Amino acid sequence: MFPAGFSYARAGSLADALSLLADAAASDEDARLLAGGQSLLPMMKLRLATPHSLIDIGGIPELTGVTRDGAGTTTIKAVTTYRALQHDPRVTAAFPALTDALAVLADQQVRARGTIGGCVAHGDPAADLPAVLLALTATVTLASRNGTRTAALDDFLQGVFATGLAPGEVLTAITLPAAPPGQAYEKFEQPASHLPLAGVCAVVTTGNGVITSAKVAVTGVAGRAFRALDTERSLASAQPTPAAIATAAARVGTGVRPLADQHASGPFRLHLAQVLARRALTRAVERAGAGAAGPDRSDEYPDASRTGRERR
Amino acid sequence: MPGSRDVTVEVTVNGTPHSAEVPARTLLVHFLRDRLGLTGTHVGCDTTQCGACTVALDGVAVKSCTILAAQASGHEVTTIEGLAQAGRLHPVQQAFWTEHGLQCGYCTPGMVLAVRQLLADNPDPSDAEIRAGLAGNICRCTGYQNIVAAARAAAARLREA
Repeated sequence: MFPAGFSYARAGSLADALSLLADAAASDEDARLLAGGQSLLPMMKLRLATPHSLIDIGGIPELTGVTRDGAGTTTIKAVTTYRALQHDPRVTAAFPALTDALAVLADQQVRARGTIGGCVAHGDPAADLPAVLLALTATVTLASRNGTRTAALDDFLQGVFATGLAPGEVLTAITLPAAPPGQAYEKFEQPASHLPLAGVCAVVTTGNGVITSAKVAVTGVAGRAFRALDTERSLASAQPTPAAIATAAARVGTGVRPLADQHASGPFRLHLAQVLARRALTRAVERAGAGAAGPDRSDEYPDASRTGRERR
Repeated sequence: MPGSRDVTVEVTVNGTPHSAEVPARTLLVHFLRDRLGLTGTHVGCDTTQCGACTVALDGVAVKSCTILAAQASGHEVTTIEGLAQAGRLHPVQQAFWTEHGLQCGYCTPGMVLAVRQLLADNPDPSDAEIRAGLAGNICRCTGYQNIVAAARAAAARLREA
């Protein structure tokens, strides 16, 4: 399969990319930014996307890499690959849930090319990372010729393949505040695409035997990844017992109209989200060091997505 | 209009520099097969799932059906044809031979490149880690048992080397 014809330009810098975007807009062209291309090129081969031109921002040095400031805030530049993040010990130490997701995201070849910014800007409702980044309260940085703005990821994500990226803008970075060690990501994948039928990230802080803060986000279930606020409220000041976690996890889909496709019905996706929320919360609490909640695997069923894919 | 519909691709493949002007939409796998005649890299599913088209780009395994030749310009590609040195099979190739890690052989070039990558990242993987590393490669013949055995054997051989 071939994509429909297009013109190609490789940007050497962010300024170059912004200038090329402006050129495209001036000639009323549908231009798309190409980072790793692991989502866009397959869509183009299926003619689900037929841009007039591609502006290649992959590998631009100023858009690549991870930095961390004194307050523990981590900035991941947009075209940093999944592979680079997976092998970055600072990321593993600070964001174990991100490492959980990177280990089960697509496959090693796709991870070598796919980028975190490309994932977020693409707006795929079944991508893994938006759940993790929402639970970690990420913000995105967007550059245009008029300057730079930031937006909470929760505001940036809008719907199925829809984001707040304005014409002429480039998503340049994702910023994560320091996060507690109690975090985990769990998914149930569609085996051909490796995309989650549902995926849940939990980030938990505990103190004096109770949960002092919980952030839970879900992907693969609705038109965009979302924070499960009812679950979070249910956990506030609760003791991290299996019963409390189960009660909270059962509320993960409150108010959500789940999507359905040929792979899974809406109710099945919601069911998965509830099971995965319980697993993610249980593991997050374990990692938080609370110790009150033992692993609750009593009702697990054989999970095809995990066969042979145990974590190290 | 930014850019051009034809692009000059300058790429070093298996140590040999090549330069060619191709339509911008040319995928790396077609560039390798149709322009350079390196047909060891296979087109399987064409949807970024089966891994038959796996090559190494700057030493890292990638799916060449999901990369434009233009994106590879200025970089180095290694295909299955570039692994054997001086008539001696690469240890991963030899292990696929010895362990009979193939039947029809269609997926094998991609499998070999993928195993090479997973062993570079993890020289002593468990069977589960081998299977996880091969999540992006599909074989319709073998049931994977001998592919995993080949990866295990190659790991042992490379650790001794």
